[in-house]
Amino acid sequence: MNKERFLAELRRQLSGLPQRELEERLSFYSEMIDDRMEDGIPEEEAVAEIGGVDSVREQIASEIPLTALVREKVRPGRRLKGWEIVLLVLGAPLWLPLLIAAAAVILAVYLVLWAAAVCVYAADLSLAACAVAGFAGVFLYLKNGNPAGALFSLGAGLTCAGLAILLFFASTGISKAILRLTRRALLGIKTSIIGKED
Amino acid sequence: MDIQLKRGLLDACVLAAIKNEDSYGYKIIKDMKPYLDLSESTLYTILKRLEASDMLTVRSVEHEGRLRKYYHITQQGQQRIEEFKKDWKEILSIYRFITREDGRHE
Repeated sequence: MNKERFLAELRRQLSGLPQRELEERLSFYSEMIDDRMEDGIPEEEAVAEIGGVDSVREQIASEIPLTALVREKVRPGRRLKGWEIVLLVLGAPLWLPLLIAAAAVILAVYLVLWAAAVCVYAADLSLAACAVAGFAGVFLYLKNGNPAGALFSLGAGLTCAGLAILLFFASTGISKAILRLTRRALLGIKTSIIGKED
Repeated sequence: MDIQLKRGLLDACVLAAIKNEDSYGYKIIKDMKPYLDLSESTLYTILKRLEASDMLTVRSVEHEGRLRKYYHITQQGQQRIEEFKKDWKEILSIYRFITREDGRHE
């Protein structure tokens, strides 16, 4: 890929960035490629050293805070006309509840994910409690002169303890997976904001 | 590596690269290459951050019929390097404490 095509492609992929920021970044990459070429590196190779357009976009997405992107996106490109403001205000009883409802749904789905994780933790905790009770039962049965019962209680305790240990790894795994998912979703949202102009 | 620690390290590295004379993007990357591999977009973010916190100033200079941005360290930037050196002494002594148990004195 030559320099011109690289920059054009980058401009296309980053069209969601604020205009000034976009120009600044493009001129930065352009200078980097020019300096490499001046250093005797062939054009194609100089472009390749910068990395692919996709990886550049991904890096930018991971470095820009989401709030900055949204703020830029929400700000209208031009001043709102009088009738638009009137319409926005009059329409508030309609769009405001819809917006709140949409946000509530997203939040609810996210909370349900964490609720699942909490459930697994709770199940794990109760298994651990059963294990303790099982071990305690051994002494009670022995005191009452019932070795068969004691053996049963010991087995039940050990089983519960084993399950609790296994489930503990599962529950930390689930929590980590949710965290990973959160990070991925945030990065995805940012990438789509940067990449697409409405 | 801890993100906060890495950020501080990278800031200090870039400041050190322009400490003695003004430099430009590609030269900074080239000067740092033997020590660490810095990508363009990372450098861009660091330079922006340092400019916003008045550690450096930028000026465009015409070079071979195009513009090239030169970065100049400010008094605050120099100070930041000194602070970094001081911080690092502290970190080194903590490091010695951490590795003391397993007998790896460095």
